[in-house]
Amino acid sequence: MLLIPCPYCGKRNECEFIYGGPVGAKRPDPNAVNDAEWVEYLTVTPNPQGPVQEKWWHARGCGEWLVIWRDTRTHDIMEAPDDAT
Amino acid sequence: MSYDVTTQRCGLAALFDLKGSRETIQNWAGDVLPPFPDGPNTRSEKNETELFHIGRDHWIVRSPLSQEDTLESRLNPADCPPDISIVRISDTLTFFRVTGRDTLDVMAVACPLDLHDSVFGPDAVTHTEAFGLKALVLRYADGFEIAVEQSFGDMIEDYLIRAIS
Repeated sequence: MLLIPCPYCGKRNECEFIYGGPVGAKRPDPNAVNDAEWVEYLTVTPNPQGPVQEKWWHARGCGEWLVIWRDTRTHDIMEAPDDAT
Repeated sequence: MSYDVTTQRCGLAALFDLKGSRETIQNWAGDVLPPFPDGPNTRSEKNETELFHIGRDHWIVRSPLSQEDTLESRLNPADCPPDISIVRISDTLTFFRVTGRDTLDVMAVACPLDLHDSVFGPDAVTHTEAFGLKALVLRYADGFEIAVEQSFGDMIEDYLIRAIS
């Protein structure tokens, strides 16, 4: 179980949150990349063995969106919003 | 084994959802609202009217149903400034009171929050989960109140009966 630090509510059980996906790569200019690069941008999400930057929505709480860095090997939340308690 | 707990399904209350900056809402509502709670997920009360601070720039006002018309005429949602939102939500939530010696044990079945006094104080109120549903949970005298979307009322009543028996 993850305890995710919400900037408004403090640490809360992950069951109150909805995963919002990874923080994506910068959107390339569709006219400047080939089809394979465009498809990769659209469909391939980062899945590193280590830190990954993710969006989470406190849907069953205060409704805040937040971005955290989570280590996929340990589930440690390495970096949270500055005002999370 | 059964728990020493009493549950009660409450009747309707007057509820208004307020969104926007505290200053603008305060200026608009005047003295009809209790003082705004200072901390996140806390509540204040004045003359049977409670104000729940349940999110960033987000509050819920609760009053006895008999005061609904008065509250609505004072809050005047239809003419409020465009940068705030006031919506009557009286019929959207069903409240349950859970009281008794073993309340914490039953609440631990329902809710993932740590509800001990030291963490969830006497003026605490927050959105969280109850039996897997989004719910508003607050302390009430010697127990707790749980509010869920009204269409789940019967289901939560059944869950509470099963949890305490």
